[in-house]
Amino acid sequence: MTMAQSYTGPVSIRARVEQLLSEMPREAQFPSQGATLFVDLERRETATAFTPLGVTRTLLGGRGANMYYLYRLLDETLSPLDPNIPLIFGSGLLTGLVPSAARGNCTSWSPESGVILDANAGDYFPSFLRMNGFDHLVLYGKAAAWTMMMIREGVVSFEDGTRYAGLDNIDLRDGVANDTGGKWARNMAMVNITRAGENGVLTSGIMAGPKAIYARGGPGAKMGSLGLKGIVTIAQTREFPTAQPYKPYNRVIAQKLLATSVVKNALSTTGTPFLYKPSRLLGAMGTKNNQETTWTEGLDAQHFDPFRPGMEGCFRCPVNCRPLNDLHGATPDKYDKGDGPEYVTLGKFGPNLGIDRVESVIRLNNICNDLGLDTASTGSTLAWAFELFQRGIITTAHTAGLELQWGDAAMIERLLFMMATREGFGNVLADSMRAVENGHYPPEAMKYRIAVKGLGQSDPHDARILKAFALGLAVATRGMDHLRNRATLEINARINDNPAFKAELYGGTVSAEPTSYDQKERAVRACENIYAVGDSVGMCRFTTKLFNSPSLPGLEEFRNQLSNVTGLQFTNEELEQCGLNVMGVERLVNHRLGMRRKDDTLPDRWFDEPNPSGPYQGEKIDRAEFDAMLSRFYEISRLTSDGVPQDQWRKELVGALGA
Amino acid sequence: MITVNFPAALHPVAGPSLVVRESVSTIGQLIQAMDRLAPGIARELDDPLYNIAINDEILLHSVDARGVKDGDVVEVIPSMAGG
Repeated sequence: MTMAQSYTGPVSIRARVEQLLSEMPREAQFPSQGATLFVDLERRETATAFTPLGVTRTLLGGRGANMYYLYRLLDETLSPLDPNIPLIFGSGLLTGLVPSAARGNCTSWSPESGVILDANAGDYFPSFLRMNGFDHLVLYGKAAAWTMMMIREGVVSFEDGTRYAGLDNIDLRDGVANDTGGKWARNMAMVNITRAGENGVLTSGIMAGPKAIYARGGPGAKMGSLGLKGIVTIAQTREFPTAQPYKPYNRVIAQKLLATSVVKNALSTTGTPFLYKPSRLLGAMGTKNNQETTWTEGLDAQHFDPFRPGMEGCFRCPVNCRPLNDLHGATPDKYDKGDGPEYVTLGKFGPNLGIDRVESVIRLNNICNDLGLDTASTGSTLAWAFELFQRGIITTAHTAGLELQWGDAAMIERLLFMMATREGFGNVLADSMRAVENGHYPPEAMKYRIAVKGLGQSDPHDARILKAFALGLAVATRGMDHLRNRATLEINARINDNPAFKAELYGGTVSAEPTSYDQKERAVRACENIYAVGDSVGMCRFTTKLFNSPSLPGLEEFRNQLSNVTGLQFTNEELEQCGLNVMGVERLVNHRLGMRRKDDTLPDRWFDEPNPSGPYQGEKIDRAEFDAMLSRFYEISRLTSDGVPQDQWRKELVGALGA
Repeated sequence: MITVNFPAALHPVAGPSLVVRESVSTIGQLIQAMDRLAPGIARELDDPLYNIAINDEILLHSVDARGVKDGDVVEVIPSMAGG
C-alpha cells in the first residue's frame, strides 16, 4: 500500500476518494468479500474497489471497516450536513451468511450529536446489499433533485425520486413495491428516508424496513442532505463463494442460539419489553425525563400480549424477536397495526413521557416507524421539553401556545407530526439536543438535558444504580447509548453470585455489588470489544455473547465461521484486539471532532440528584469514584488520560489506515 | 406459606404459581422446597435469565442466602436487555 498524502488544508471529497481509490485493491482479497461502491450523487458517477486486507485484519468489516472510510474521507473543517461529508453503509463479514448475522452499520459525522454517527440495523438490506456484490457504499455529493438509487443484480442506476418526495415509510414502501414489482423480504430491500429526513430533522433515522431503522445520530437528516430518498436492492438471493463449506457450522450456531434460555423463553415469544418490569422494580425506570425512576405495572410485558398477533425476524434469523402489533381497530387508520414496540420505545414513550396506557405506546410507536423517527432521541427530546415546561423554563411563548403536560398522548402525537415537518414548535424539537446551542432554549435548560456527547440516552434505564452501565454510557463513542457496551449481566443475580464464572466472562474479577465501582471497567471493556466485533461481522447485538446471556455465540464462533467463510484465520485474542481497534479509531475520529476526557461523562442529574425510589433509593453517581473508574477504564483500554489511543498503538492504527 | 409466581415460560414446569407451605427461611431453601413440589424447577432457575423478587424487591446478588418469611410473595422475573 502506498502512503496517502497528508491533508493539511481543505481537500475536496473527490480528491480524497481519488487518493483512497489509488491505494485500494481492484480484486477481492478473500473469498466472499464484496466491493466498496463509491457514489458521487451530484455527478451520478460510481467507482469500485476492495477494502485492503490490512484494514480487514485490523478492523474486520461492517462498522469496523466503515471507520476506515470515515477516517480517511472526513474533513472536519466542514459541517456534518455538508454533502462533502460522506455517508457510509457497511455490512459485516458474515452478514447474510450466518444465522442472526443480518446486520450492517451506517456511519458518518452526526448532525445531531457532533461526534461520530454510527447506527446499526438489520431486516434485509445489509444482507441483500452483499448479494448484489457490495460490502460497503460510500455516498457523497448532493443530487440535483430527490433521487432513488437502484441496485439490480449488482448494476447501479439512478432514478428520479421526486415522485416519492413527501412520502413517509408506509406509503413509500407501498409505492416502491408497486413501481418495481419487487417483493419485500424475498428479492427486494430498501433503505430510505421519510419527510423527517427530507426536512433535516436531527432525530430522523434511515428506515430499513417497516420498523428496522438506522436510528442514532440523525442519519436520516444526513441522507437527506445528499438528496437521496432511498436505495433499493433487487436481486435473487444467491450463494456466496466461501473459503470452505460453512453451512454445517451454521447449524451449530443456530442450535446454540435456539437452546439459549433468553432466546427460547423471552426473545422468541415476547421480545424485549420483558425488561420493563425489572427496571421499574429496581427503581431504575427513567420516568418524566428521569425525575422519577418507577412507573405503572400497567406497562409490564404481559399487558402487550393481547395486541401481539405474532413475531417477525430479519433475514435468515431463527430467533424472530420482533413483536408485531394490532390495536384491533381502536384507532382505525394506518397506525392501527405495525411492528414493535421494543423496550426502548416502551420506556421512552411510556414512563419517560408519563404515558400509562399500552395502546398509546403502541400507537406512538407505529407513528414513529412511519415518520422515520429514532424513538430514543425523539423520546428524549420530548421529555426534555416537557420538563422544561413543567419548570417554567420554557412557556407557551416558546411552544406557540401548546401546553406540554406529562401523559398527554394526543399532544405527543401532534408534536411528532410537527417535528417531521418542522412546523411551529416542531422546528425546535427537530433540533433535538441542540436546542440550546441553536438559541431555542435558555442556557439553564442544559441542566436537565439527559445526554452524553450531544446524544440523548438510548435505553430508558436510569443508571444511577448500576455503575458498569453508567460507565458504558459515558464512554460510548457515539454518545449516550447502551448498545455499544452495556454490561447487561450485572443485573443477573446468578452471574453475580458466581464470582469465578463472572471473572471468566470479563477477563478478571468484577464486583458483584451493582452499586460498587470496583473493577466495573473490566466488564465495560470486555463488552465493548465483543460488541464491536459483533457489529463488524454483522451479528445481532441481542444474540451476541455478554449482551443477554453468557451462552450466546461469541469470539469462538465468530472466529470459526470467519475461517470457513473468508479463509482468514484469527485467534480469539486477535479478534478481541480488532474490537479494541474499532473503538480506538472511533476515538481518533472523535478527537478530531473535539472530544476530550471531559466528554466521557454523564448527565448532571445522575451526579447531583439521588435516585428517588426503589430499593436503591438515595443512590447516585459519586464524581470522584466515577473519575477514578474512568481512569482505570482508560488504562486497560490503552488510552491516554485524555481518552485517545496511546502513542504506540495510535501509530499502529494510523499505519493500518494508510493515513 | 409463601406464594411464588412464575413467568409464562416456566408454566410447563411449575404452573403460574406455587404455594410453599414448608417452613423455609432463605431463598435457597425455598427453591429446594419448590423443587419438591414441581420437580425440575430448581434446574430451570439456575439460569441467568431469571431474577427473583421478594414482595416486589428485585434481588441482584446474594440471592440464595436472602431471607424469606411466611406471607411473602416471591416472583421469578426474566431480566434481559433491549434495543
